[in-house]
Amino acid sequence: MSTQLEQETEVEEEPTESRESVAQRLSEKRRQQIQEDLDSAEKTIQLKVFRYDPEIEGKMEPRFDSFQVPFHKGMTVLDALIYARDKYDSSLTFRHSCRQAVCGSDALFVNGQQRLGCKTQLGDLEHPVRIEPLPHQDVVKDLVVDMEHFYDQMHAVEPYFDPDELPEGELEEQRQTPENREKVKLSTRCIWCGACMSSCNIAAGDNKYLGPAAINKAYRFAMDEREGTDRKKERLRIVEQEHGVWRCQTQFSCTEVCPKDIPLTEHIQALKRESIKNNLKFW
Amino acid sequence: MAKHYSSFERGNWRWFLQRITAIFLIGALAFHFVTLHFINHAAEISFAGSQARMSEIGYFSLMVTFLVAGAFHGVNGVYNGLVNAGLDGRQKQIVGGILIVATLLLIGQGLRVAVAMTTLF
Amino acid sequence: MAQSYDRGAVESFGRWREFQAGMWAWILHKLTGWILVGYLFTHIAVLSTAVGVDPGAAATEMDTYTQTLQGLEGLLIVRFLEIGLLTVAVFHILNGIRLLFVDLGLGLDVQDASFYASLILTALITLSSLPTFLGGAL
Repeated sequence: MSTQLEQETEVEEEPTESRESVAQRLSEKRRQQIQEDLDSAEKTIQLKVFRYDPEIEGKMEPRFDSFQVPFHKGMTVLDALIYARDKYDSSLTFRHSCRQAVCGSDALFVNGQQRLGCKTQLGDLEHPVRIEPLPHQDVVKDLVVDMEHFYDQMHAVEPYFDPDELPEGELEEQRQTPENREKVKLSTRCIWCGACMSSCNIAAGDNKYLGPAAINKAYRFAMDEREGTDRKKERLRIVEQEHGVWRCQTQFSCTEVCPKDIPLTEHIQALKRESIKNNLKFW
Repeated sequence: MAKHYSSFERGNWRWFLQRITAIFLIGALAFHFVTLHFINHAAEISFAGSQARMSEIGYFSLMVTFLVAGAFHGVNGVYNGLVNAGLDGRQKQIVGGILIVATLLLIGQGLRVAVAMTTLF
Repeated sequence: MAQSYDRGAVESFGRWREFQAGMWAWILHKLTGWILVGYLFTHIAVLSTAVGVDPGAAATEMDTYTQTLQGLEGLLIVRFLEIGLLTVAVFHILNGIRLLFVDLGLGLDVQDASFYASLILTALITLSSLPTFLGGAL
């Protein structure tokens, strides 16, 4: 009985101790592994990542953390961030999902330009690589920005296919000529990543500005011949408000940073011309 | 259906006029510079010289149109720059009002000057 | 989302080294625009000396208008300011032409090249006008 009691107290003491020593053992093991990775790689790259967390005392003031990652050919910025998070600091927070440039989650500000993390080759960048959250948006934590304003602007243009009338027969298709498809093709590629809006100085200054992504979406539907003239007029009315297309100053930054190579400025200009043409008729 | 919304709200007529005045101003400003620095030398400007030019109806009307177009283009540009920087709401209305008044004063004074320089009226 | 950190819009201008052609064009067009508007008001103010000119004085070039303008033209600093005005106006015109093409949807693929072209043309026109503008003062 006494031995049992003794054993029990021993068992109680052990967990706290061994938990700490387990942690120490693991972090040493991790450090060893990182060192092995770094040694065996052809070269190592230094990442400087923006850190901020309003809920943690040490991180209320934004700062930059350095991570040394092993480089292999074909490595992307996202790969490097995942390595840093998995091996160095699991609190490093950033959005990512598909890792093939279709979900739009990982738009970041890398070495002074808006880029998709999964689409940017580390090998193409100057070192050390600076990774920051998208500018002109509020930062929630580390590399995560508040995208609500972006989504509000997108929703404001009614970004869904909505034809005036449906064809006669029940199983009849809504036809679109190949030329019309060509016209809107590039504008359909938007992945809602937010890079364009974050690169636009007008979007930064004027909170009500719809932004290149939203106007491009409006273009995609307004120029789609299946929707009909009345619907097109309604769509144009939304974007020809004072904080719509007219705010664009053709800075071209949006076109430069779009990861899907959409000629955003061109589409915005096209809608300006459409609006003028429509309104001239009534004078 | 288009009369539904006042064209003033839509902001497109100001954008359009900015381009129209721009096209006119390219020619007018270039002409003005050449006339007053290359053909006539600025250092030799005299009232008599100015009066002679302004008493010719073609030149006079060009200068008046130049004044109006330039005033609109410039002040509209300033207004747009301010809206882009975030001017909104009550402030925007007030500033817009001030700018309209400033434009009218500018054009008014400019017309006084033009009439003072001409022998046409 | 409890709190967030607003880095504001100002940080853009700290990154001026990363600016592309389109951004520079926009900034310079705005800047030259403001200067030209400021000049327009000043110009009309100076020309206002023509109002109420005494015809007698005008005949001998002793009127307020002539005296004011010739007086100003006699100052070297004014000559330099005029060259500055020329540069500003020429750039605004040339970049303005570029913007008109952009608005028409023409030449969008060479928009940065056309910005550099306007800068170079502005420099050329300014340099070639220097003798005329400074002539008489030097």
